[in-house]
Amino acid sequence: MGYRAVKVERGAGGWGGPLVIKPEEGRDKIVSITGGGIDPVAERIAQLTGGVAVDGFKTSVPEKEICCVVIDCGGTARCGVYPKKRIPTINLTPVGQAGPLAQYITADIYVSGVKPENVTLAVGEEAERMIVRDVAPRVEKTASERPQNGGAKKQMGIIERIGRGMGGAVGKMYQAGRETIDQIVKNILPFMAFVAMLIGIILKSGIGNWIANVISPLAGTLPGLLLISVVCALPVLSPLLGPGAVIAQVVGVLVGVEIGKGNVPPQYALPALFAINPQVGCDFIPVGLSLGEAEPETVEIGVAAILISRLITGPIAVLIAYLFSFGLYS
Amino acid sequence: MEVLANFAQGFIGLFQEGGKVFLNLAGGILPTLITLMTAVNAFIKFVGQERINNLAQNAGKYTLLRYTVMPVLAVFFLTNPMAYTFGRFLPEKYKPAFYDAAVSFVHPITGLFPHANPAELFVYMGIAQGIQQLGLPLGDLAVRYFLVGVIVIFIRGVVTERLTIRMMRQRELA
Repeated sequence: MGYRAVKVERGAGGWGGPLVIKPEEGRDKIVSITGGGIDPVAERIAQLTGGVAVDGFKTSVPEKEICCVVIDCGGTARCGVYPKKRIPTINLTPVGQAGPLAQYITADIYVSGVKPENVTLAVGEEAERMIVRDVAPRVEKTASERPQNGGAKKQMGIIERIGRGMGGAVGKMYQAGRETIDQIVKNILPFMAFVAMLIGIILKSGIGNWIANVISPLAGTLPGLLLISVVCALPVLSPLLGPGAVIAQVVGVLVGVEIGKGNVPPQYALPALFAINPQVGCDFIPVGLSLGEAEPETVEIGVAAILISRLITGPIAVLIAYLFSFGLYS
Repeated sequence: MEVLANFAQGFIGLFQEGGKVFLNLAGGILPTLITLMTAVNAFIKFVGQERINNLAQNAGKYTLLRYTVMPVLAVFFLTNPMAYTFGRFLPEKYKPAFYDAAVSFVHPITGLFPHANPAELFVYMGIAQGIQQLGLPLGDLAVRYFLVGVIVIFIRGVVTERLTIRMMRQRELA
């Protein structure tokens, strides 16, 4: 059966692309890593191209069979992992170059904010424009890579050696500074802006009281915290609550505001940190396991094992944290 | 007219308050964060990937270390998300449990070492800024978050390992 090429364009607020996707023999899987079944976008790409849509949470696909992936990453991990491997990546969330792997997210391999209507059959010469996948891995040159002085066997003078050592050390520290500022600008400041706006509105508008009434009894008592942890750890919910830890971060901010206002006692901060986060990484299991070079079968079992484990260990974590909170701020 | 003016005042007030919060966060957290992250990032470069690989490989042999030392090293040195690549040092049956332990540590570590997961700092910092508002010190909370984190990932690792092995056996029988 012949495969057809489709063009995937960025949606409203999206970034990157357009990508031309065309499956080949042995490389025809459209992998949907979105939680909650195969996404309509993946479905549509599969329909138009003649490829096979696969739910990445249920079945794992060896990398070389993947034609492209459909993800819903909020801007931390997944959106960088696949571009780094040079697998065409379609993100449903409108996220640009973000996260720790932002440098790999380029317009020729990544497109975001995609809705089903952004997927169209490619016509004419567009269809010829294929994505270059098997490029040689980019060699990263850091300042630390000192040139080898081969050949010349002459003894390096002590001064020269110290000089070189210093140069290398300073280079490493400078590079560390550059990476840090990069992280601050790309990841930390944007979230700070979002959090500051949120807190401002909560504090000044009437919403604050309403939130306090909901949060205080939940976050300020042990049964309440246990309830939160069980709900967040439900295998149906946990993969959906995970992406970018956005939910955990927003809830963290809300609980923090209530602690600041005195509605939740400060020693509850510790158990609360665990109660709001039993779903951590549940959205990322297949990707994380494939980073660890796990076999497809391990991935399938791993998803189930981890999701069930969280239901048990989520509340246990809250209990342990509660015990450890004795003597905190009192 | 007055109603409109009041409305405008209230509306802009929301964001004046937000602006104050932003300045507090940026002024209070960022300077320390920047220098701390730079120091740790430099330290990681000095130690070098090679040595950490060896350490992790050795730690992976023992259950106790596999779900404590190994994920902590992974998250500290490789940070989120590359930390999970350490799974490749382990046999298949331990991989899900290792991932579970490592990913569960990407937030408890941020109280002391924010470089490990800068994109998701506000799980901790959201709650921490409330503590700060009360004028209480954060050190105690950060240390306890880290320690409880280590205990929790160990338990999580062991539970997930048992579940994985049992499910693998069931599949073989089926």
